[in-house]
Amino acid sequence: MQMFFLARIVHLGIVNGVQSAQLLPLFSGLLLAIAIRSIAQGFQARFASRCSEKVRQDVRQQINHHWQSVGPVAIGLSSAGELAREWIDHVEALHGYFARFKPQLALSVIIPLVILALVFTLDWLAGLLLLFSAPLIPLFMALIGMGAEKLNQQHFNIISQLSGQFLDKVRGLTTLQLFGQTEWATELIQNRSDRYRIITMKTLRVAFLSSAVLEFFASAAIAMIAIYIGFGLLGSITYGPSEDLSLFSGLFILLLAPEFFQPLRTLSQHYHDRASALGAGAELLLRLNTSATTSNQSATEPDNRDSDTASGIHLRNATHAYQQGQPVLQGVNLTVQRGECVALTGPSGGGKTTLLHLLAGFIRPDVGTVSIFGQPAGSFSFGWLGQKGFLVSGSWADNLRLVAPEATDIAIVTALRSAGLGPLLDTREDGIYSRISEDGKGISGGQARRLSLARIFVADYDLILLDEPTAGLDRDSEMHVLKGLGALAQAGKTLIFSTHHEALLSLADRVLLVADGEVHDA
Amino acid sequence: MHELKPWLALIFQRPGRLVAGALLLLVTLISGIGLLALSGWFITQTALAGLLLAAGLQAAINLYVPGGGIRFFAVSRTLGRYMERVYNHDTVLRLLTDIRVALFRRLSGSPSVSRHQLTGAQWLSRLTNDVDALDTLYLRLIAPTALAVLITALALLLVGIIFNNAIAFGLILLFSIALVLATIGTYLSTRKTVWDQSDRLELLRSAVIEHLEGFPELTAAGQTSKHTAWLMHQASQHTSAQVKADSRVGYYQAGSTLLINLAVVFVLWVGFYLFEDDIVSGPLLVLLPIALLGLAEVYSPLPEAFGKLGATQASAQRLNLSESAPRSNAEKVKLSEELALVVSELSIQHGNQPPLFEQVNILLRKGDKLGIVGPSGSGKSSLSDALAGLIEPSHGTIAIDRFAYLTQQTVLFEDSLRNNLLLGKPEASDDELWQILQLVEMRERFASEPDQLDTWLSNAGSRLSGGEARRVALARVLLSPAPVLILDEPFTGVDATTRDLIKQRIAKWLTGQTIISLAHSPEALPGTDRIIYLPA
Repeated sequence: MQMFFLARIVHLGIVNGVQSAQLLPLFSGLLLAIAIRSIAQGFQARFASRCSEKVRQDVRQQINHHWQSVGPVAIGLSSAGELAREWIDHVEALHGYFARFKPQLALSVIIPLVILALVFTLDWLAGLLLLFSAPLIPLFMALIGMGAEKLNQQHFNIISQLSGQFLDKVRGLTTLQLFGQTEWATELIQNRSDRYRIITMKTLRVAFLSSAVLEFFASAAIAMIAIYIGFGLLGSITYGPSEDLSLFSGLFILLLAPEFFQPLRTLSQHYHDRASALGAGAELLLRLNTSATTSNQSATEPDNRDSDTASGIHLRNATHAYQQGQPVLQGVNLTVQRGECVALTGPSGGGKTTLLHLLAGFIRPDVGTVSIFGQPAGSFSFGWLGQKGFLVSGSWADNLRLVAPEATDIAIVTALRSAGLGPLLDTREDGIYSRISEDGKGISGGQARRLSLARIFVADYDLILLDEPTAGLDRDSEMHVLKGLGALAQAGKTLIFSTHHEALLSLADRVLLVADGEVHDA
Repeated sequence: MHELKPWLALIFQRPGRLVAGALLLLVTLISGIGLLALSGWFITQTALAGLLLAAGLQAAINLYVPGGGIRFFAVSRTLGRYMERVYNHDTVLRLLTDIRVALFRRLSGSPSVSRHQLTGAQWLSRLTNDVDALDTLYLRLIAPTALAVLITALALLLVGIIFNNAIAFGLILLFSIALVLATIGTYLSTRKTVWDQSDRLELLRSAVIEHLEGFPELTAAGQTSKHTAWLMHQASQHTSAQVKADSRVGYYQAGSTLLINLAVVFVLWVGFYLFEDDIVSGPLLVLLPIALLGLAEVYSPLPEAFGKLGATQASAQRLNLSESAPRSNAEKVKLSEELALVVSELSIQHGNQPPLFEQVNILLRKGDKLGIVGPSGSGKSSLSDALAGLIEPSHGTIAIDRFAYLTQQTVLFEDSLRNNLLLGKPEASDDELWQILQLVEMRERFASEPDQLDTWLSNAGSRLSGGEARRVALARVLLSPAPVLILDEPFTGVDATTRDLIKQRIAKWLTGQTIISLAHSPEALPGTDRIIYLPA
């Protein structure tokens, strides 16, 4: 529209010698067209962004479902930082694709078609010129696609490899400093970066050719149209529709010609959005697809009708292997009564942790069944204490209410004191409402584990599973954990823990030896 | 803006490349504008000549110069674009290397304390994003803005020559506003949103990491869905803020395009008055608006880039913070020949908390084996960190011989087993490596791997169990020829049988070296001559 008015004004003004005052309506039309174009442009950005917002929320939801379905053990295999990166950065990488690339893709199909139709009504020969390059457009897209796709994928991979290498060195910087090897690592980063740059540039040189071809056709089409129209207006072209050309139609066509190619050029500029989205998407899909294989392995559900199973914990012929042919647990049969306190001991790698994970329902047996109080493992709340304590940034109360949202302040204080965190709590000004990490100084590993123990106290579970609850603890923490577990056992809770610790072993009603994939009473 | 200073200085270390890249960009942009403007001029010229010819009048017109010009611009635009893209991408990759290397240098020069304040994974992910934000500073912000100003100036100069200065001044006003809208305006209106957003994303990241670390406990407690819902809410706040920022960028972009188009209309309008007065010819009247229309393309990438500037600043600020504290050079105390360690009147204190120790004195002769035992929280690791010079004591001096330090945290690199071990002793032979692996009872573990010493240890050594990774890290330190070895909890995650085996072997292996070992109980110490007990 804008171009139409522009060309019309020029035509009338220059060729027909119309007074400028009489051009006023046309000028107003031009201004109107400009204004509409601007407003539309503004809204486009908004809607595109909205659309991408929804997509990203959906993807995050899917990842959450995935995490839920694969369970804690599978999640523990990948680093939390890496998973968080997927949840945050990879999903963010989809933004450009949905907010910029996709809308542009639609535009680059529609706009050239509209322009082509317009030009044909004005001058079919000029239209033919554009049409001649029109079949080339899909070709361009394919060219950009093929070149840029491969290149961008490669580029994306290289960049992420590079930052991986870089981060790994930064992560271990203290170690490098201690061994006096930082200069070596700096050189390594420099050399690897340079080597990657040279490789990338080789592919880039080829890949950019495709966009150069696009640029060339765009420029050449404009040049040809300009020269054709020029000669047509001079009257030197005696065939075709050129006799009907006026300055208006000529100028109009000329001004439309770049617009014909513009969407495609913009598209190629946004191509990196697509590439990063594809790269990120591929990794996300890879992650999401691994879920299917692990979670589908669930074996037959436990037989709930069997009356004696409802009372305790029963493993029937349970077998689990992480790698085919190398079962960690083989045909384990085990019965634990409600209220029993059971210690699992045995060499590391013997399957203690795997057994606990089975009981927790974090993994499912390949063969056999696990039934806890008559229900499948993991179908109700229970207490879990891993080898690492865990805390969220926030107050003591926040951390305990994470598992027991209804807990009263008194219950929280009692639980913290039972876990031996009382003295520490007393030093904090706001008591349970003071933040756990102050002055950038966190709490020690032992204290973090006691915090997890306090969560178990406050939530009052029937079943509590603990993986090496005292490993690596100092005497003080150890004592509190021992005392706490004793209290829980006294209260009639069912406790199952793995340990090498003498004091813990003596706490148990029953000690089981887990070794070579089998479980025996010790 | 001061946050960006050190990074800008780094970028401008390559002025030659930057200017060359900008010139290529300039050629491309001018060719594009020239192509259209000249074409418009040519068409108008021929149209007028055609009318004269049709009227039977003589009209002389030079077709070859403009025709040639059009073809020239068509070619120079294509070539310019291609060369510009190749050249500038190369520049960006070089800058990326520069930034990484400079950052790494500075990080290696700073003590580890400032790094430890931030949790590892979070800090590292942030670092990646922040570095990525910086590498586009030149190609997206500096070069396009400089060129927009330059090309506008050239175009207005042309207006001044062809039309008159008064019109040129009017246009300066319009274009200045357009430029301000596209750059500073966009920046200011989005600055706070994107800056906060960038910080919020980091909070979200630590929340996600906490969520994942607590996943077993949350799953057991049946509370994952609730915590997940909370995370999703945080994430949606983040994306809404982004929609807000994006919309603003869109409106500012529209505003700037509007002004440029208005300038075009203005030039056309006043041009007609000049045309009627026969001051300018028809073809020139056409040339100028089309040339100015071409400026829209020059301005169009600016708002998006400036809409991200706030986030880039936030990134730069974070990077600056993470390297602000230089290592202060405490006075080095000379150590006499037969001594390995002299600690005098040492006090360690974190922030405002009560001091962990006061007035500690330790004296070790060469070959001494000292054990330090204390519960967690008693300050063992702080003491060993202080001995290693990783933290500054609040009082007192430490003189120590050359040492190797096994930190409490196991650090293995994503590299081959060989490279991981060689850090301890770069010149060690394969035999030596196997020997040390034997010592920590890891020889068989790797001998059964197809790649042997070249086995890749990935993802913080996740293919190794905690105890195995610990033993590899221990092997690396034991390999070191340094006269003093500091071992903080050397046997974490190692079962008692293996531990006792390794302890015996260490005693035989390390005869002449001084050992300072720290653990929570005496059993977890390798052979010692004497033990210091730290109170809780």
